[in-house]
Amino acid sequence: MKPVMIVDYGLGNLGSVARAVRFLGAEPVISGDPALLLDAERVILPGVGAFGVAMENLKRLDLVAPLKQYAASDRPLLGICLGMQLFMEESTEGDLHAGLGLIPGRVVRLQEERQRGIKVPHIGWSGLEPDGREWSGTVLDGLHPGDALYFVHSYYVQPRNDGDILACTTYGDARFCSVIARGALVGCQAHPEKSSGPGLKVLGNFLDVHQH
Amino acid sequence: MIRIIPRLDIKGPNVVKGVNLEGMRVVGRPELFAPHYYDEGADELLFMDTVASLYGRNTLDEIVHRTAERMFVPLTVSGGIRSVQDIRGVLRAGADKVAMNTAAIANPRLVAEGAEHFGSQCIVLSIEARRLPGGRYECLTDGGRERTGKDAIEWAEEAAGLGAGEILATSVDNEGTGRGFDLELTRLISERVGVPVIASGGAGCAEHVRDVVLIGKADAVCIASILHYGCLEAMKNVAYAEEGNTDFLKKKIPVSSRSAHNRRGIQPIRLAELKQSLADWGIEVRRTEREAA
Amino acid sequence: MAEFQRGNLDRQFLTLPEEVKFCKKCVISNQRPRIVFDEEGVCSACRNADYKEQVDWKKRELELEQLLDKHRRNDGYWDVLVPASGGKDSGFVAHELKHKWGMNPLTVTWTPMLYTDIGRTNWQGFVDSGFTNLFCAPNGDLQRKMARLCFEELGDAFHVFVLGQVHYPIWIAQKFGIPLVFYGENGAVEYAGDPQLADKPYMAPEDWNTRLLKGCSLDELVAYGKANKDYFAGADVRGSDLLFYGAPPMEEIKRAGIRKYYYSYYHKWVPQENYYYAAEHTGLKPNPERSEGTYSKYASLDDRLDGMHYWMGFIKFGFGRATQDASHEVRDGHITREEAVALVNRYDGEFPRKYYRDFLDFLGISEEHFHQVADSWRRPNIWTKQDGEWALRRRVE
Repeated sequence: MKPVMIVDYGLGNLGSVARAVRFLGAEPVISGDPALLLDAERVILPGVGAFGVAMENLKRLDLVAPLKQYAASDRPLLGICLGMQLFMEESTEGDLHAGLGLIPGRVVRLQEERQRGIKVPHIGWSGLEPDGREWSGTVLDGLHPGDALYFVHSYYVQPRNDGDILACTTYGDARFCSVIARGALVGCQAHPEKSSGPGLKVLGNFLDVHQH
Repeated sequence: MIRIIPRLDIKGPNVVKGVNLEGMRVVGRPELFAPHYYDEGADELLFMDTVASLYGRNTLDEIVHRTAERMFVPLTVSGGIRSVQDIRGVLRAGADKVAMNTAAIANPRLVAEGAEHFGSQCIVLSIEARRLPGGRYECLTDGGRERTGKDAIEWAEEAAGLGAGEILATSVDNEGTGRGFDLELTRLISERVGVPVIASGGAGCAEHVRDVVLIGKADAVCIASILHYGCLEAMKNVAYAEEGNTDFLKKKIPVSSRSAHNRRGIQPIRLAELKQSLADWGIEVRRTEREAA
Repeated sequence: MAEFQRGNLDRQFLTLPEEVKFCKKCVISNQRPRIVFDEEGVCSACRNADYKEQVDWKKRELELEQLLDKHRRNDGYWDVLVPASGGKDSGFVAHELKHKWGMNPLTVTWTPMLYTDIGRTNWQGFVDSGFTNLFCAPNGDLQRKMARLCFEELGDAFHVFVLGQVHYPIWIAQKFGIPLVFYGENGAVEYAGDPQLADKPYMAPEDWNTRLLKGCSLDELVAYGKANKDYFAGADVRGSDLLFYGAPPMEEIKRAGIRKYYYSYYHKWVPQENYYYAAEHTGLKPNPERSEGTYSKYASLDDRLDGMHYWMGFIKFGFGRATQDASHEVRDGHITREEAVALVNRYDGEFPRKYYRDFLDFLGISEEHFHQVADSWRRPNIWTKQDGEWALRRRVE
């Protein structure tokens, strides 16, 4: 099994992701080294925190260009939570920030509806629903419509092209894109490393591991 | 979906269960309960270090580490977290969130610092409240031992403002009694803050869980007694370490079901059963496909 | 105001060793009256705890069954008397006797001197769970004077409560013809490990005075009060008001066959488990906050003057409530000695601030007098003055 690089840019629950990868039988390599990134065969971009800070860190660590280059070479790249949001062109979190621009679209805030009990951030398990695309053969292979993953976020992505959307999730009145897939580029708003069986299945699919 | 979070109160090598946050009766090893709840569909797990404040030490790193290696749901650790270093240590050991009570009340800035360093989603404000005559709620610290004179609802709001990502609200009066959650306490906090509220303390049956969601407006529910005693009823041989109050396990006393008067009593239940009941009542919960043993 | 000079009514000091030592297994000191340390430095209570592990409790239970079979009545009348506060121990004993053993208990309560809210609530909860109860309060005016007398001359205001608690049930047992009296724990065994009593299911009346009452008789106490205390000398002290502070005539007790049995002889005594039992069956609620001077919330909750009783124990003997609670828990195997030491160092000797004013008012004394009396009980082998502050010569470690 080939090693998986987990990008360390100062933000993210690297340990959790690494543990899940290890559990699935792959070898995680946690690193912020741009050279390693360019050489990698499979990369996970985790992320927990603020968009602006994340982009600042990526720039400071000289990871922006390598990430774009890596993605352009059509090698497998999984963005988790904030990591996925960084794929977009820009985010409205705080000031307007530019993202990596790998996927057309932007990042916007979830709407709170206190009276209905819809609180922000969205914390908890919510179901994935298909949005016109088949899941078999994708990172969601083996999952059923309605299977839940664990979410912790206040913002969500709005891809401009419907073709980039693999799954949606409903929270309050918002039906937002929860999984992106375009070629070898995959993004998951939820945390597969914290989502028990279904989450491990998603990660396993990305790692190309055959699950029982 | 409503999250169901089993809580393991840990003392040394064992899980313990008290009443009104008092008593350290051993019910078994954490290794017995945690994987079992994970398999049964626990949405998160909460580990509480019961004597960290009392003895001034933190001891859960080992069990946290082992749990995180094979159970992939969010893990929260509570008990004796006093500083940013403590938080870092616990997260590094494998926890996803920390819950703070005593230290946060002593120094509210710790909530803000924790949120700054690690993100609000890592910081849970834990409140142990007792009801005062007249209907107000007072915060207690040190495992329900010391009074503070602080209003629980006001404090919840203040902490959310400082950056706490969730509020864990425990009723000391009801905890372990099986008489039900304090619906009023939960509802008052839930309506006051914009962050999720986890209700804790008092579940005796599935109806109580239903009520704290529908009436108490809880976003998540933390339970212990009904699950632990349910576990014990299902198991023939309970693994436990010979330390602490093990008399209960040795005597194999049956936990009585609801007594006739005062509607009090623990009705042990399996996690899967509980979720089924909630679903039947129209409450959305996460269902797992159970692998055949 | 004249300097306070106490008499010598407390006989317990006479037999205490001069040098303070702590048990190697638990954290009690050798200053506890009637406790004995062996050559290995282990106390008799710990030895007794080891012995408890050897006891054939099934056999003891059989003995209990036989005893109860002898006394059980089928005519609906009471067949056992249970002195009860409504706390965890009496709740457990009364409930098990009734529901497990099919007995018909009459419960009796001797009022705490100053009820706490939680104590009153628990008493009511206990009664509501299904027990007839005879509740007795002594002449309050006399009780306060007795309390002050006991505080000054025995270093323990609480002693007057104990007088009633020990004797009142015996009067009721005699008047109502219920010779079987069941207490919870035999304190002499559980806390002092008295080997002479460990194998006895009941305590003979001859032993009540020394084991339970500091070796001082009621007559002695009252006589001393009348002779030496202005608040007592002219007071209206009648035999009838003193009745329940003493025992019925010995011949009558013997004729009626009244005996104080101890449940702790028949059932392995684990106070924490009694708490669970009572919480489940008799509506027991713990203290809403930690009891002063200790770490627990479930023991001895009903009297506001309780804290001062333990604190005076701390003054007289150098150890307080936390030491006693922790030592018992070490012997029960619930905590380690290290944990016990940590608890003692954190809580032992904590001044009972919460009800201090209540105590002064109850006794009708000033703060100055309080401190004079308290200080008169500090023995030089226990206490020393450092920079004008009192400090223990030896702490447990």
